[in-house]
Amino acid sequence: MATGTRIGRSRFTLIFLLLSSATLLTLDAREFEPLQRTEETISDLISPLRTGADRVFEPVGDAWAGITGYDELESENEALRAELQKLEGQQILDSDAAIRLESLLDELGLPYVQDIPNVVAEVVTANVGNFDRYSVQINRGSEDGIRNGMPVVTRGGLIGRIDGDPGRGHSRVTLLTDPGFEVGVLAVGTDDVALASGGGHGEPLMVTKGLEIDTEVNVGHEVVTSGVDRSRYPPGIPIGTVTYIDYDEARLLQLLTVEPSANTDNLSFVTVLLYDPLAEDS
Amino acid sequence: MNTANAYLRSALFLLTALVLHMALFSDLRVLGVAPEVPLAIAITAGLVGGPERGAVAGFIIGLGIDLYLPTLFGLSALIYTVWGYTVGLIEERIFRSAWWINVLVTAAATAGGLLVYALLGELLGEANLYTDRLYVVMGVAAAYNLVLSLPLLGLWRWSWPRLLGEER
Repeated sequence: MATGTRIGRSRFTLIFLLLSSATLLTLDAREFEPLQRTEETISDLISPLRTGADRVFEPVGDAWAGITGYDELESENEALRAELQKLEGQQILDSDAAIRLESLLDELGLPYVQDIPNVVAEVVTANVGNFDRYSVQINRGSEDGIRNGMPVVTRGGLIGRIDGDPGRGHSRVTLLTDPGFEVGVLAVGTDDVALASGGGHGEPLMVTKGLEIDTEVNVGHEVVTSGVDRSRYPPGIPIGTVTYIDYDEARLLQLLTVEPSANTDNLSFVTVLLYDPLAEDS
Repeated sequence: MNTANAYLRSALFLLTALVLHMALFSDLRVLGVAPEVPLAIAITAGLVGGPERGAVAGFIIGLGIDLYLPTLFGLSALIYTVWGYTVGLIEERIFRSAWWINVLVTAAATAGGLLVYALLGELLGEANLYTDRLYVVMGVAAAYNLVLSLPLLGLWRWSWPRLLGEER
């Protein structure tokens, strides 16, 4: 008898919990605001515990990464040294180009990236699960002026955008490697605005729409954000370098493979550009 | 020790496990795969406490991890609830198990849980869940959870000693 009662009670509990989960799923899919605010509040409450634990266990994580990724780190180090040498030479050219770009953007009434207010944030948690390889959490949120969709950059260029409404003191960043990530781009020196999308973890970006077949683009060409027509991103943020060009003869388009200029692995600090295209318009 | 004390221990255990998963275990990756601690929590709760406690523990830890995942809020809670309940039911009905069976069940249920998570997530419109990489994730996470299952089973027994004693 007691066993029967226990089974009946456990079935009731299961049904209750399943209905609760289904309700939460539905409310979240409909972006029900009170639920999102509750999520933020709970997340904010756990945040200090998590930050403390992060600090304590950071050396363990670093040691593990050092052990399991030693070969990768070594080759990355070599690549970075080569890149540094290249950048030192490029710096002189860039300073001149930057001045010219700033005056051009000024003439067109578009904001220059370096003039946009920004917030520097620390990456507190990279992906916590095995299915969210394309997002990281940062320790700055709505109280720092961060809003949904704002661009996130490092010195190398664009790395992603704020995804969803941020909490008071934390936000989630979707990385540009996410296959669902799209950004309007143009190859420096051309006028065709094209659409680049993420190619997956460790893979280059793909430009598959918008670049006409007769536009002159070469391997090695720099690609930046276009920033036109209420784009979420201001113009001129470096995206990467063209590494391969293919042609779609049927659609008369060029298909570009673009190696991102910013590394999205092992991020420590990022900069959120407090850029709101609608405010810029007004 | 009274019932309230057992629930307090359980809550403390769940919160600690959630924080440790985010701060420590999610960084300990092999082939880019981290242990699925929250799923292991739900499974081992079912193995030690039966279907009802497995479902409740799965629901709570699922909601906790859903706060930090970009997928729909409630997806992990739904799957972990079902998984905690199912594993608890199998343990109760089919095998009152030896420790090594519990360890193997945790590993197998981890792989199965991840497959269901990916399939259900894709059905609900989440991208990038059912990919070629899924089978690597299932294999590595199952191996990780196989190792973690023994301490987790022990911790659940620490959380519910009196309650388990009353039932058996």
